[in-house]
Parts: sequence; C-alpha cells; structure tokens
Amino acid sequence: MSSILFVATYAVIVSEKVNRAIVSLLGAGLMIMLGVLNQETAISGIDFNTLGLLIGMMVIVAITKRSGVFQFVAVWSAKKVKASPWGILLMLSLVTAVFSALLDNVTTVLLIAPVTLLICHELDITPYPFLFAEIFSSNIGGTATLIGDPPNIMIGSAVGLTFNDFLFNLAPVVPVILLVTLGIIYVAWGRKLQATDAARSHIMQFREGDAITDTSLLKQSLFVLFLVICGFVMARPLHLEPATVAMFGAALLLLMSNFRNNAEKQSENVHQIFGKVEWVTIFFFVGLFIAVKGIEEAGLLEILADQALNLTGGDMTLTAMTILWVSAIASALVDNIPFVATMIPLIKSMAPTFGGTENLFPLWWSLALGACLGGNGSLVGASANLIVAGFAERSGHRIRFLPFMAAAFPLMILSIIISSAYIYLRYL
Amino acid sequence: MKLKQILIPTRTANPGMTVREVFTECGRANLPALPFCTRSGRIAGRVTLKNILKISCLPEYMIESARILGEEMSCMEDIESKARQLLDTPVDPYVQEPALSLSSEAPAIKALAMMEQNDTSYLFVVDEGQYQGAVTMQSLAKLFSSFG
Repeated sequence: MSSILFVATYAVIVSEKVNRAIVSLLGAGLMIMLGVLNQETAISGIDFNTLGLLIGMMVIVAITKRSGVFQFVAVWSAKKVKASPWGILLMLSLVTAVFSALLDNVTTVLLIAPVTLLICHELDITPYPFLFAEIFSSNIGGTATLIGDPPNIMIGSAVGLTFNDFLFNLAPVVPVILLVTLGIIYVAWGRKLQATDAARSHIMQFREGDAITDTSLLKQSLFVLFLVICGFVMARPLHLEPATVAMFGAALLLLMSNFRNNAEKQSENVHQIFGKVEWVTIFFFVGLFIAVKGIEEAGLLEILADQALNLTGGDMTLTAMTILWVSAIASALVDNIPFVATMIPLIKSMAPTFGGTENLFPLWWSLALGACLGGNGSLVGASANLIVAGFAERSGHRIRFLPFMAAAFPLMILSIIISSAYIYLRYL
Repeated sequence: MKLKQILIPTRTANPGMTVREVFTECGRANLPALPFCTRSGRIAGRVTLKNILKISCLPEYMIESARILGEEMSCMEDIESKARQLLDTPVDPYVQEPALSLSSEAPAIKALAMMEQNDTSYLFVVDEGQYQGAVTMQSLAKLFSSFG
C-alpha cells in the first residue's frame, strides 16, 4: 500500500499537473488515514531542521533584498569592468555564484536576471549567453555550501553534516567546475560579444547608489548575514543545529529592522515578511518527508538499497559513481527534492554493507554533487532555471527547451565528469 | 453625502476606440481608468492607463530595475517610441475585469471604505446597469475639505 501511494504521489509530482505541495500533502495524509503510518511516526519523519533552516534563510533573504544590495553589487560589478560585454558576463556569473552559495538560487536570479536584461538591452546584444551563464553559475554556486541548494540542506540535516563539512568537501571542486563552464561559454559565445562605445557609456550611467533603498537596513542585513554565516561555521563546537542559527538570525533581523516602528507598523512588516516565505515549498517538504517515511517504515527502501548494492556488487567506487550519475540525470529531468528525499534513507540503509555510517561520506558527496549540478541539464532541472526563462520570455527573448538542453546537457555532463574525478581522487 | 453629488461624468471606452482617445479622456477627467462598455451600453470591463503602458511599453526587467536607471538610456527612447506607436491602436486588447462600482445613491463614506478595502483610488458609479461617472480619492478629498 505504501509503495503504491508513494509511486502515485511521485508520478503526479513529476507530471506537474497538480501543485506539488497539494500532491505531497495528499499522499502524506492518505498514508496516515489508510494506516500505513500512525500520527507519531509520520511526525517523526518530518525533518524540522531542514524546514527551520529554509524558513530562517527565506526570512533573512526577504529582508536583505529590500535594501537593494543585490542590484547594487550587480551594477557595480558591471561598471568595474568598464561595461565590456564579456567582462559583465563574467562578473555577473561570479556574483550569481557567490550569492547562490550564501543565499538561495531563486532569489539570486530573481534579482540578477532583470539587471542582466536591462544591461543587454543597453548594449544591444542578445541576453542568451548571459542568462545561460547565470543559470549555470547559480546551480554551481549553490552546490558549494550547506545552505546553497535545498538538496544540500536535506542531506546535511539528515546526516548531521555541518556548514564546514560542505565547505571543505564540496567547495574545492566548485571553482574548477565554474571556471571550466565559463571557459566553454567564452569559446561558444563570449569572444563574439561586442558593444559600441556609445552603448557601453549607457551602462556607465547606471546609478547603482540609487539601488540602495535603506542604508541602515543594508547594514543590519549584512551584519546579521555575517553573524549567521559565523554561526554556521561554529555550529558544531557550539552544539547548535543550522536551523537554530538561521531562525535566530531571522528573528534578530526582524527585531533590528523593526526596532523604531510602533506596534502596528511592526505587525504589518512582520506579516509582510512572513508572507515572502515560500510556504508552498515548505509544505511540499512536510508532505514529502511523511511520504518517504511511509515507504521507509514499509521496508521498501531497504529492498531498493539491496538491489542497488547487488548491481554494484557492494563496491564503494561503483556505488558512488552510480549515485552521482543517476542523481545528475534524474535531477536534470525531474524535481531533485523528492529524489534526494528518497535517496537519503536509501543510502543510510547501505551503512552495514560499507562498515558503518562513517564510511558513507563519498556517497553523500556524490548525491549532493549529482543532485545540485544535475539541475543544469535542462530548463526544468531547477527552479532558478525556470525563473530566468520566465523573465527572458516576458521580455521577448524566449529560451527554448530543446536548444537550451542541447547546450546545457553536455555542459552538465562535463561538470559530472569533473565531479567523478574529484570524488574518485579524493575519497575512493 | 451621496455619490451623485461628487461624481465626475466621463465618456466610456468603447470597442474600436483608440488608446489616444482613452488617454485624452483620462487626462481631461483626471482619472486613471475608464469603464469599457459594449455597443449595447453594458459595462464589460475597464481600461487603465497603467495596464496599457505596462503591457505595451514597459518591460518587466525595467520595472524591477527602475531605481538604477540613468538619464540617457536607449531603453527609455524605445519606450517613448513604443508609446507613440501605441496611440492609434484600438484599446480593445487592454480590457480588464470591471472595476468596483456603487450606485449614485450610495454614501460617500461607503465609497471611501470600499476603496480602502480594495486598495484602489477610484470606483465607477452605475445605476441600473448604466454608467453615470466615476468617484476618485481626490473627489472625496475635495468633498471633505468643504466641510465646515
């Protein structure tokens, strides 16, 4: 029964015919109502650390973006390279990668893509290479840290991996992948990008200072963001969960940004900021965690893990490579969140074969690299891709699914080849 | 105080009317929108200046990046040129859902409350399906300022 419910839930999520939060909550509700899970077990399946971390960071980002810092940095970086088209592409890609590593990919591209389209309009050049590079930079940058991409948050929380673990284990390969990707984008498009001096002078007229809407909010946001990052780095010695750090940071920033407001204005601001939290994603996670708990309790994941191990012969190298490649290809084609939610307990149940949970690290890094980088393989591979494509389409520069995939999929495969080499040389 | 005492009589937008005519009437009556009526006189929707300009001239990325725009930019020249081309096109594709409406016998305070509730600064006055005119926040301000 649990398997049927789970497969049906998964199939409807993948079909994208019904909102994914509705489907996952219906699947979870049915698992409880049909007796597959009792209430307590269902609740125990929900990873509140993942939810807390996501909500805390969403609140911090919602307040920070009001200050205009993202647009300021984007325009400032474009002017620093004297508005040369390739220089701008490079700078915006790096800015996107860094912001995506420290914040979330969707917010980053939501703020960078409009500036990119405006710059390209002024330079009178096609925005396609810029947007393509930003999609890749966003997903590659997000791979580097615990908070960069939801799969990393889920893996970190489920396995107890810290911010530093991700930084030491995933961040070293990220600049390599980013540079190789940008190198190929240069050869394919970048070297041909040209703009007249008159057009470049338009970019130099941008008023990046005007992007900053509230200087004190900017200082408060950057201060809290710095504290939160320090909190993530120090989480293990302080015996704190990342969710605690993020939620505390969110509450502190809410307090600081409302300090001088009266009760009515505070209430209005807090209501508005909480409205910016992506509750659809949060409730999607809740339903998904319960649905995965259902098949875990039924023993289905152990059976799947045994079959996977039979295929790889219990060989660590083969298992890690299989997880990396299957995750990448699956994440390019379907939502990587349900995939990772299913893979986590599946990999955990492989522990006895590999001599304990402490030997599973190569598998976790393979899953994280595959799931995050795989998102680059197609337009539907990650939410950030769809956001960029939406902006492009609404401004008359449609990014078509197949031509994008024709360029993106091989480039994604290249990033997985680099990741395979990295995993093999470092861990196997 | 009833709405009939403060309403602003205006023309309606009709099928085939140009954007220029709508802009001229809105400018004359100091209104952000006009009701769109079918040939039979029934209100089928409304046309707003904001919607016409946003759909036809102003790309989303410019709205998102509004604060950083400089003084002499090609995107602004493009918008001016698009706006010029737009003036002689029919207004029909820009019709939106009808705006709030009240009868001319409704009290002015009710109009104010409904504007607040719906976060708008105008509403149409309609009696038995026939458009009578519009009431704006400014016309309410004028009324209140006349109180002794």
